Amino acid sequence: MKKIFPADQLARDERFVRLDTAERFNDPRTIRGSGSAGRMGRQLSPESPGAPDAARSLMHGIFVGEIQALEGAGRTCWDFDIGKGSDEVPFELKLDMARQCWDEARHCEISVKLSDWMGTELGEFAESVFLYEAACNPDPVLRLTGVNRALEGLAIDVFNTMREFGTKAGDPVLEFCEDWMLADEVTHVKMGSDWLRRLTANDPGRRERALEFQRVVDKLFSLGGARGEDEESPIKLARRFRELAGFTTEEVDEISDLSRDARAEAMARTGGGD
Amino acid sequence: MADPKKARAAFAPWDRRELPGAFNVEETARRVGNYKWVEMRLFEALGGWVATVPELDVKMRLGTHCYKHAWHADLWNKRLPELREMNTDRLTEPPNEHMVAFMDAVTEPEGPDQTIEKLVGVYRVLIPHKIAAYTYHLNNTSTITDAPTIRSLKLILNDEFEDWRDGEMIIQSLLETDEEVERAAAHAAKLEKLMLKAGGVAGPGSIGMGTAAKPEEVPA
Repeated sequence: MKKIFPADQLARDERFVRLDTAERFNDPRTIRGSGSAGRMGRQLSPESPGAPDAARSLMHGIFVGEIQALEGAGRTCWDFDIGKGSDEVPFELKLDMARQCWDEARHCEISVKLSDWMGTELGEFAESVFLYEAACNPDPVLRLTGVNRALEGLAIDVFNTMREFGTKAGDPVLEFCEDWMLADEVTHVKMGSDWLRRLTANDPGRRERALEFQRVVDKLFSLGGARGEDEESPIKLARRFRELAGFTTEEVDEISDLSRDARAEAMARTGGGD
Repeated sequence: MADPKKARAAFAPWDRRELPGAFNVEETARRVGNYKWVEMRLFEALGGWVATVPELDVKMRLGTHCYKHAWHADLWNKRLPELREMNTDRLTEPPNEHMVAFMDAVTEPEGPDQTIEKLVGVYRVLIPHKIAAYTYHLNNTSTITDAPTIRSLKLILNDEFEDWRDGEMIIQSLLETDEEVERAAAHAAKLEKLMLKAGGVAGPGSIGMGTAAKPEEVPA
């Protein structure tokens, strides 16, 4: 089995439809922040007529994201030998990634059950493999920073949003499941934060490259500014949970600013409105 | 209640544990190092395979089982310093080069159409051999002096039996034609031959048979 498994070879059954990342980002619905982040381009609210479909679409996006997170964590177990070189990892990091595999496998199971509960067929919505692409970085520190801090950090925001949607919509099953998954995501982001600090303790240059990679991923997946702290943000930045996961207040502020900029850019591109 | 001052036997009548065991500290550490090595190779491969299998249920099972074997590796890693091996990497090794060839062959299948080979290697060959070696160790080590290894073996064996059953049921559900049955059997036979050369997951003597020097027996 080769090291570094390319995203275009990810194995799927016949139900899944692949949308490449370029198509996803050129899709006007993505630019408007009205794709899986919320079809209304504003907060997911049970009163909105499009809410059920938006929630189903978001749930399906979570499901395929969980598959890719499982695949990415699994590849980190395989791709790197144990050692102290820049392309090697400590034994304990591999153990954390194996633990994440189990967590992500459970998240896939939960997502399948929840999708069924919400009336969604697997494969009903297209899959883009952006999460897994970040998990192909050949530098393990950059990989963990991009996946565990940027994308799993986004997952914290998404799960918190879905949990609140479940509460507002009076759906205890959705609320219950999202709450459990949120707990796991905080753990995964904390793993990313801890390993970033440990592995770059004596290498500030590598730490900066990793944080820059995180910024790139954060900006790329700011979903056109859909994630933020403004009242109208479809996905709320979950500041408290991010801090639990090892983000400093300044780091959360930076993501918040980045999201606000992304939203302004998206609105400028689309003529100022949704 | 009985008189608290009355002398009682140190070992209750139902406690049949005995001092003698088949393995001294060095031999136990050697075996534990071999176990850790194979658990590591296994969890790494299971994790790597997740992206390569199209079957959703298999993908999720591999992710779950990946962690269990990583946890086993961690248990063995923590046991090694307790067996006077402070540099745990030193004993984290295969018993011989044949075991390396065996694991290379187990982890070789990669294509999305090779799920049968991937699962057969793990669940019909490797895990049964692990169960055999762990059971032999459990049944032959000193039940008093080596209690920590026994506890780990029992926890690990519980996982191994569950995972073996999961994997075997998935394999049975995937085998739909005579040709697939033959593929599975041929791959298992190829790997069994390699394992035969290796002598088991801890080398010859893994289950007490074979050519390894018989470990010293502590007299009762």
